[in-house]
Amino acid sequence: MMHQTIKRDGVETIGNPHLSLEGINKKYGLVEVISNLNLEVRKGELIALLGPSGCGKTTTLRMIAGLIAPSAGKIAVGGRDVTHIAPHGRDMGLVFQSYALFPHMTVAKNVAFGLEMRGLSRADIANKVAKALAMVQLGHLAERKPRELSGGQQQRVALARALVIEPSILLLDEPLSNLDAKLRDEMRTQIRDIQQELGITTVFVTHDQVEALSMCDRIVVMKGGLIEQVGTPHEIYERPTTPFVASFVGRTNRVKGKRTGDGCIRIGSSMIRSARPAVQDDVMVMVRPHRIHVDWSAASTERQGETQNRMAAVLSRITFVGDVIQYHFDVGGTEFIVEESTKKSQASRRQGDEAVLSWSVEDTLVFGADQ
Amino acid sequence: MTTATFDMPVGAQKPSSTAGIAVALLLPIALVNAIGFILPVFNLARMSFNEALPGGGIAEAFTAANWTGLLQDSFYIELILNSIMVSLGITFATLLASYPIALYLHRASGAWRTFLTVLVISPLLTSAVVRTYGWIALLAEQGPVANVIAAMGFQPPRMMFNTTGVVIGLTEILMPYMILSLMAGFGRLDPKVEEAARTLGATPFRTFWRVILPLTLPGIALGCLLCFVLAISSFITLKLMGGGRVFLLATEIYDQAIVTLNWPLAATLSMLVLIIFGAALAVYSRVLRMIEG
Ligand SMILES: Nc1ncnc2c1ncn2[C@@H]1O[C@H](COP(=O)(O)OP(=O)(O)OP(=O)(O)O)[C@@H](O)[C@H]1O
Ligand SMILES: [Mg+2]
Repeated sequence: MMHQTIKRDGVETIGNPHLSLEGINKKYGLVEVISNLNLEVRKGELIALLGPSGCGKTTTLRMIAGLIAPSAGKIAVGGRDVTHIAPHGRDMGLVFQSYALFPHMTVAKNVAFGLEMRGLSRADIANKVAKALAMVQLGHLAERKPRELSGGQQQRVALARALVIEPSILLLDEPLSNLDAKLRDEMRTQIRDIQQELGITTVFVTHDQVEALSMCDRIVVMKGGLIEQVGTPHEIYERPTTPFVASFVGRTNRVKGKRTGDGCIRIGSSMIRSARPAVQDDVMVMVRPHRIHVDWSAASTERQGETQNRMAAVLSRITFVGDVIQYHFDVGGTEFIVEESTKKSQASRRQGDEAVLSWSVEDTLVFGADQ
Repeated sequence: MTTATFDMPVGAQKPSSTAGIAVALLLPIALVNAIGFILPVFNLARMSFNEALPGGGIAEAFTAANWTGLLQDSFYIELILNSIMVSLGITFATLLASYPIALYLHRASGAWRTFLTVLVISPLLTSAVVRTYGWIALLAEQGPVANVIAAMGFQPPRMMFNTTGVVIGLTEILMPYMILSLMAGFGRLDPKVEEAARTLGATPFRTFWRVILPLTLPGIALGCLLCFVLAISSFITLKLMGGGRVFLLATEIYDQAIVTLNWPLAATLSMLVLIIFGAALAVYSRVLRMIEG
C-alpha cells in the first residue's frame, strides 16, 4: 500500500489522516517540553515515537489521550477536532508506562472495566475478557489482584485492558519494557497482529530502536520536545536527516572531515566521497559499523573508486560479542568500529595488524559539523 | 569462630541485644499506659459491680444490679440507642463535609497543599470550648444564620439547645480529624488509576463510584471510626450546644457522677461506652478486611 506524501511548509502531510496533531505546544510553567509538533497518522498505521528519556514521548501521548491539554495547537481524529473533548469521549486505549491497574479489582475485572463502561452484556464481556487474557497468556491468573502479579504480568494485563475495548486509537507507552526477551518478541507479534487485524491506528512509544524498526510502519524520532525525523524504518535507518537520528537509530562511526573543492571530503590524509554533497565546509561523516568491509591483504590505499571509499587502518582492539565480532581500528587518530559476523578465520587477527577499510559511497552519511 | 561473624548482616549479629532495645523503648509507654489507662479502667470496671447507697455512698459488693437495672430501664436503652444514632449522624455529616476537602488536598501539591493542610489543622489549635461559643453566637435565635434564613423568607428553625445544634457544632469540631484520617487513608489513590478509568470510557461520575470511592474506603473507615468514638465521648460541645436539653451518654455519666453522686451507675455507663468502642473497632476491622480482601 503506497501513500503519497506531500511536503507543505516543510511539514510532511498525508492525504486524509486518521489522527493529526497540528502545531502542538506544551509548556509546564515557563518550560516548553513540546514545541510545534506536527504529525499525521493514517488509519490502521502503527507509528513509533522513538527518543531518549525525557524527550516528551509520554507528554505527547497524554495529550492525544486528552489527559493533559496542549498549551497550543489542535488534535483531530478522523477529521473531528478533539482538542477539547474529555478523555472518556475519545475512544482511545492507553497503556500507561506505570500500568495504572485498578488495585482493588481482579485481573478479569480490570480487563472488563472498559467493556462495562461501554454497556456490553455480561456474556459478551466474559467472552471478550477471556479472549484478551488468553492472548496475553494470563488466563490462569484472572482472579488474582494486581499486587499478586509480577511487573511483566501487570504490564500484560494493562495491554489486555487497552486492547479489549478495540479502540479507534491505541496508545502504548513502552508496553513491553518489563518483559523478558522471548515474551517481548511474542508480544510484539501479538500487538502487530491484532493491530493489523482490527486496523487500529496505534501510537507506540518506545526508546528501544529495535522495537521501533521491527514492528512499526513509520517512526517519529524525537529529541528535546522536537521531531527530528519522520519516516519508514528503512528511511530512518538508511537516510537519517540529522546526526542525532543517525547515531540514535543503529550504531554508527563518526569522524570529522573537511569539504574540498571537488566535492570530496578530506579526513586526515584520506579523501572520501558521500552520496549527498556536503552542505558545509566542516562536516561530520558517519558510517555504520557493519557496512564497512575489511581488506587485510590490500597493499594500496590510494586507489579511490567512484563507488567505494577506502582508508588505511590499524587494528587496536577486538571485542567478541558472540554472533558478531567488533574490530576497533585506528584511522589517523579516530576510532572506527567494524562489525562482522563471526567466523573461524578471525582468530588469527592481532592488535597492530594493518588493513584497508572500504565502504560504499552510498553508505557514507554526511552532516554539517554543527548540526 | 571470629571469621564466621563477618558473613552476618549488621544487626543480626546479636539478636538478644536488639530485642533488649525494643523492650527498653517500649517500656515507658507501656508504663504510662498501665498507670494512666489500664489501672483506672480496671477500677471503673470494679466500681460498676459495687452497690450504690442513697445519698452518694458506695458499698463494696459484687453485684450485677447496676448492669441488669441499666439494661432493663427503657430510659437508658433509649439513651444508648440515641447516643449511637446521633454519633453516627455526626460521623456521616463530618464525612460528607470532609471528603471533598480531603480529596482536593490529596491532589494539591507544593506550597498550596502545605498552606491548606495548615489551614485544616489550625482549628485544633483553639479549644473546643472557644469554637463551641463561636457556634452559639452564630446559631443563636437572633444570630447571623437565623437572620440570613429569615431574610430569604423562611421561618428560621431552632438551631440551638437541641440535637441540631449538637450535630452542627460537633461536625465542625470533628472535621479536622476526619480530613487527616481520610488523607492518611488515600494512599492507594494514584491519579494515574483515575486517568486509566477515564481513558477506558468512564465518565467522571462513574470514575468516582467505580475507582475513587472504593480506593478511598480505607480512609473513610478510619475517619469514621475516629469521629464516631470522638462524637460519642464528647462532652463539652454536647453540654454547651445542648443547653442541658439534649441527654446523651456523656451528659448522663456526668450527671450520675457529679449531680446524683451515683458512682457505680456512672462507672457502669462508662464501661458501656467502652464496650461500644470495642464494637466500633470490631466493625472497623471487619470492614477493613472486606475492603482489602
Ligand atoms: N508535570 C510536569 N511538570 C513539569 N515538567 C514535566 C511534567 N511532566 C513532564 N515534564 C517534563 O517534560 C519532559 C518530557 O517528559 P516525558 O514524560 O514526556 O518524557 P518521556 O519522553 O516520556 O521520557 P521517558 O522515556 O523517560 O518516559 C521532561 O523533561 C519532564 O521533566
Ligand atoms: Mg515516558
